[in-house]
Amino acid sequence: MSRKERKARAHSPKAQAGNRPPAPPKAPPPSYPSVRLSPNLVEIPITARGDMNVPARVWADEELWKQISRDRTLHQLINVSTLPGITGTAQAMPDAHEGYGFPVGGVAAFRARDGIISPGGVGYDINCGVRLLASEIEAGELGHPRLESLIQDLGRAIPSGTGRGSHLRFAGEDLDRVLAEGCTYLAERGLATAEDLDTIEARGSLATADPRAVSDRARQRGGDQLGSIGSGNHFVEVQRVEKLFDLAAAEALRLRVGQVVILIHTGSRGLGHQVCTDYVRAMDAVMARHGIQLPDRELACAPFQSPEGQKYFGAMCAAANFAFSNRQAITWAAREVFRKTLGGQGGLRVIYDVAHNMAKLERHGEEDLVVHRKGATRAFGPSHPETPAIYKGIGQPVLIPGSMGTASYVLVGTDEGFDLSYGSTCHGAGRAMSRTAAKKVQSGAEVRKGLEDRGIVVRASVGELAEEAPYAYKDVDRVVEVVHQAGLARKVARLVPLGVIKG
Amino acid sequence: MRKRRHRWLDHTSEVQLQVEAESLAGLAAEAGRALGLLLLRDEVHDVPARPEGPAREIQVESVDREALLVDWLNEILFLAEVERWVAVEFDILEISSTHLEARALGVPVEESPALVKAATFHGLAVEERAGGLQAEVIFDV
Repeated sequence: MSRKERKARAHSPKAQAGNRPPAPPKAPPPSYPSVRLSPNLVEIPITARGDMNVPARVWADEELWKQISRDRTLHQLINVSTLPGITGTAQAMPDAHEGYGFPVGGVAAFRARDGIISPGGVGYDINCGVRLLASEIEAGELGHPRLESLIQDLGRAIPSGTGRGSHLRFAGEDLDRVLAEGCTYLAERGLATAEDLDTIEARGSLATADPRAVSDRARQRGGDQLGSIGSGNHFVEVQRVEKLFDLAAAEALRLRVGQVVILIHTGSRGLGHQVCTDYVRAMDAVMARHGIQLPDRELACAPFQSPEGQKYFGAMCAAANFAFSNRQAITWAAREVFRKTLGGQGGLRVIYDVAHNMAKLERHGEEDLVVHRKGATRAFGPSHPETPAIYKGIGQPVLIPGSMGTASYVLVGTDEGFDLSYGSTCHGAGRAMSRTAAKKVQSGAEVRKGLEDRGIVVRASVGELAEEAPYAYKDVDRVVEVVHQAGLARKVARLVPLGVIKG
Repeated sequence: MRKRRHRWLDHTSEVQLQVEAESLAGLAAEAGRALGLLLLRDEVHDVPARPEGPAREIQVESVDREALLVDWLNEILFLAEVERWVAVEFDILEISSTHLEARALGVPVEESPALVKAATFHGLAVEERAGGLQAEVIFDV
C-alpha cells in the first residue's frame, strides 16, 4: 500500500469511525404500489401517498427497477411529486439513485405561472455537464508512450482542484462578464471560436443570467476555479470510438470508428456550490410566507414568479454560464496540449456540450414550464428550435459518460422523447453502491492496477479511485439501452477509455 | 487517542454523518471536527488534537437548531475552500438554537479541499437521546 493510500484509508469515513461501534443497519426504504406500463416504464399512482400532486414514473427495465427500489430513490421522487405547480408526472431516469432532495436522475416540470423553482431540484453542482471533443487522430496512431505523455500533459494543464496551475484568472468585471455572457465572453477573449458556440447548449450563454444575484461568497469560493475539473465523479477522459449504431447520425456528427475523442465532465465548481447553498438558505426562510409546506426541507423552493424565485433563477443561470465557460477553458487547455503533443493532428472540434443539472424555462405544448433536471440530460429532437442547425437532421447530441473505465455513449434526442420525458434522458451509469461499500471491495491501488492492466492510463489520487470504481455504478450499457428502447434518445456511438484524469 | 463520537452511515451517492454529544455545543464541535477530518483525508495523516497556529472566530446566525448545524458546517467548508485552512478543533463560546460563536483551530492546506460541496437539509435531524443529542447530516460530495 502506498503512503498516499495509507493516508486516504486512515482518514476514510470508515477509519474515522474510530472507537465507535458500527452503525446499525438503516431502516428499509418505504414501499409503494406500482404498475409496469411497458418493458421500460413503471408508474407509481397518485394514490400511493396522500400528498402526491401527480403520479411518478420511472424509466427502468426489471433489473434497473430492482436496483432503483433498493434505496430511497422512490421516496425522494414521491416527495418531488408533492411540490406546488408540478405538472404531468415526476420522473426518474434509468440511472436514478438516492440523492438529497430530488433523487439523482430526477426530472420534474413546474408551471411557470404558478409553480415553483427549487435550488435543491438543481443541486449544488449547477450545470454539471458533459462536453465531447473530436480529434482527427486515430487511436492506432497514438501508441502507448504518446498516450501516456498526452494524459500527463493534460493532467498538468487541467488542474483538478482550484485554479492554481491554470493560466486563466477572471476577477471583478471579467468575472461579471463570464457570469453574464458565458462562452460569448470567452470568444471575445480569444478562448472560444464561433464554431465552438454553435455546438454548445444555449451557445454556452444564458441571457437570463443575473450576476448581481451571485453573492460575494460564491465569487470568492469559485472565482479562481475556471479551467479546473473538481472531485467526485468529475473527469477528463481520452477515449476511442469503439462502435457505431447509427451510421447516418455518426456521419452528421463526423464520428468514425477508431477516432480519438475527449470527454469532459465537470460543472460550476465552488461558485455553483455556494450559489445553491445561499439560495437553499434564502428559500428556507421565505417558504412559510409563500404558504409552502414540504416533506423534505432540502426541497426548499419559492414560486418561480416571486422575487426570490426570479433572483435564484438569475443566479443559477449565471452559475450555469460559469460552468459552460469552465468546460470551454478546459477545451482551450486541451487544444494547447494536443497541438504541442500531436502537432498538426491536434485540432479538437466540439461535438456538443450539454448540462445535466439545471432548471430551464421551456415551452411544452401550450404551457411555459420550469423543467428541473437533476442528474438528467436535456435531449431535444430534430425539430426542436434549440437543436443546433447542423444537427437538425438527427437531433441534439446527448452525451452519457459511463463510470470510470467503462464505456460512454453518444446518443441523439428524439421528437417523441420531448413528449415522453420533457425531452430528457439519463446522465450516466448512476451509482449503485455507496462510497464506503466500494472501498471495501478494492483499494484505490487495486482499482488503478485493474485499469492499467486493461491498457488505460490513469492520472488520479488513489482515494478517489476506490470510491469511483466501475463496480460502484450500474451497468451503463443497460441504462442506455432502456433510454434507446423507450424512444427517449437514439444510440449513435459507444466510446471506450484510453486514459483518465481525475481529481 | 481522543474518543470520537461520530460515524459515517451508508448512502448510495453522498456522505452521511451521525454525531452524538451531551450538549448542542458538543454536537457542533464534534460535527465540525468530523467534517474537518473528512476534508483532510488526502492531505494530512496525523491531524493534531489541538493544532498550532492562530485561532479564528466563527459566528453563525440561523433560523433554528437544524439550520444552525447546516450553516455552521457550511461555514467550515467555506473557510476550507477560500482560506485553504481546515478547522478541526473548536471551543464553542456561545450557543443557542439560532446563534453560534466559536474559536477554531485548524490546519493549513496547499490546495482547497474539493471533496464536499455542501451540508444539506435532507434527512437532517437533531434529536434528544438518553444522555444528550444525536444529529444526522448528509453532505453532497
